[in-house]
Amino acid sequence: MRAFAIAALPVLAFAAALPLAQRAQAQAGKSGQELFAERCAACHVEGGFGTRVLSRRVPEGQAELEKRETLPAALTIAVVRRGIGSMPQIREAELSDADLQAIANYLEKRL
Amino acid sequence: MIILDANRLEQAMQRFAGIVGEENVWRGEEAAHGYKDAFAPRDALSYAPRGAVAPASVEEVQAIVRVAGELGIPLWPTSRGKNFGYGGGAPRMREVVMLDLIRMNRILEVNVEMGYAVVEPGVGFDDLYHYLVDNDIPLWISAPAHTWGSVLGNALERGVGYTPYGEHASKVCGMEVVTGTGELLRTGMGALEGARTWQLFPYGFGPSWDGAFMQSNFGIATKMGIWLMPEPEHTLNLAMAFDRVEDLPLGVDALRPLKLDGTVQANPSFGNIIRNLAVRAPRSAYYQGSGPIPADVLEQARVDSGVGHWNFSIRLFGDKAVNQINAEKVKRAFAHLPYEFEVSEWHRGEPLRGSGSPTPTLGALGVVDWLGGPGGHLTFSPVSPFSGAEAWEQYTTIRGMYEDAGFDYYGGFTAGQRYLNHISMVVFNRNDEEMCARANTLFSDLIETAASKGWGEYRTHTLFYDEVARTYDYNNGALRRWNETVKDAVDPHGIIAPGKMGIWPRAYREGQS
Repeated sequence: MRAFAIAALPVLAFAAALPLAQRAQAQAGKSGQELFAERCAACHVEGGFGTRVLSRRVPEGQAELEKRETLPAALTIAVVRRGIGSMPQIREAELSDADLQAIANYLEKRL
Repeated sequence: MIILDANRLEQAMQRFAGIVGEENVWRGEEAAHGYKDAFAPRDALSYAPRGAVAPASVEEVQAIVRVAGELGIPLWPTSRGKNFGYGGGAPRMREVVMLDLIRMNRILEVNVEMGYAVVEPGVGFDDLYHYLVDNDIPLWISAPAHTWGSVLGNALERGVGYTPYGEHASKVCGMEVVTGTGELLRTGMGALEGARTWQLFPYGFGPSWDGAFMQSNFGIATKMGIWLMPEPEHTLNLAMAFDRVEDLPLGVDALRPLKLDGTVQANPSFGNIIRNLAVRAPRSAYYQGSGPIPADVLEQARVDSGVGHWNFSIRLFGDKAVNQINAEKVKRAFAHLPYEFEVSEWHRGEPLRGSGSPTPTLGALGVVDWLGGPGGHLTFSPVSPFSGAEAWEQYTTIRGMYEDAGFDYYGGFTAGQRYLNHISMVVFNRNDEEMCARANTLFSDLIETAASKGWGEYRTHTLFYDEVARTYDYNNGALRRWNETVKDAVDPHGIIAPGKMGIWPRAYREGQS
């Protein structure tokens, strides 16, 4: 069984890699919350680098973006595209306008 | 500098759009802000690009290169652009169009039996990590301090990780490259049509070119084979902290024989106290004054934080019984030092965090917040012989220069087999013009002083390519002239990354003269 699995894996691996290549199209079907978890959460959840930095700059309880009382979509978009403080900008080839808008809308509506 | 004619640039952008679609080309401010150096030591827009184009396939890269050659539009390739501290994805100069390869993000093959992957430039360490974990593939990646960057880009820049496969450039096996005329070639065994050993035998037949496409502007890599380490049965970590700064040479000399004879296969890194403190809190938590933190304050911070002036881990990878024998050997080698190792173990099947396998992290970016403002950093990376006395001389020289210029010394020594990569960071506040100016001056002084002592950098920030390249001056710059000869031959239009590593195409050299 193990020998079969090893022999078959390179082919399986190639097949499984294909969705990665098609991500630009596939992302359109994801919700803002899912995209936030996928693209932003590495830094912007509890304990993340972004949350730690923000905790030194914003009122208590506001460092985690998903717990912000107010976070206008336009601000999220501007910060992501231009960068701010310790956060580098993220370009459109890396995060599409549609995906960024979905993330920004998700964060704005968590009022 | 060759200024791009606006009409010709627009003509090129329109033809690029015809190749990749209008949605994958960017102009003006959008391009400049998208590809600027996020941690720039001077006005980031002064060396941000005029445009950008993002192909999704090798054929599109070839088509773009041909148009660029026809119209004389220089391209600056970038994989993911996360080479922070060395300029990110930013070009050497403003008058270029970025060739952004991030959409080429396929993991083309993972061969479990032979232990390798074939990746495109846009594949990040996180992507490859998740792919291996999600598919239960018993191979480990090796990654640098943060995992946002490109597997291919990092290896080509000769990045370093912390597993036995941590010298990434040495694990590259077989590349596919688009040349300056838009042709496609494969290196090593890949030059044989239908080759069955492209990712297995690195040398091929005749001259070996993989190394020539690293830290160079001789071609655009579109595929790369990279060897991956089989998951070990067990890892054993020996962590130690030195209370005294001056114990660095003892540690270096104790480790050297263990690296030379292969007892320690990974790349331990002696990190200084500020490298350790910076991931815990900003500088203001320890000291509110200006200039470098005084020695007595630093000593108190060390005691309060429970860290060392030097902190390092020696991790052993392999069978448990062998690791235990080697751990005893390591302990004996350090027995004359007045410190104890803190030992921890990992067994296959336990969660990977803490195993020594890189897991996705951006924690290392914490350094940019050290000063509490919008931070930036310049990474200075001379190579030291693997000798306590030599490392000490380099450390004291460089630390002294940092402190004379008003900066904290943040750095460490990462062990190769016969060398140490001495990686330090000039951390500055991007909003403080005077501090930025001091950082730039210090960096130039460091390059010059290091060269005068026979220490060369293994890598540098985009803005300092020329200064570092000039220090490699044996026989009146014979290597520079050789690189220029090759550049003119393989990139006759001079369109691939002009100025990368100080290698300028003929037209720019003549323009400069």
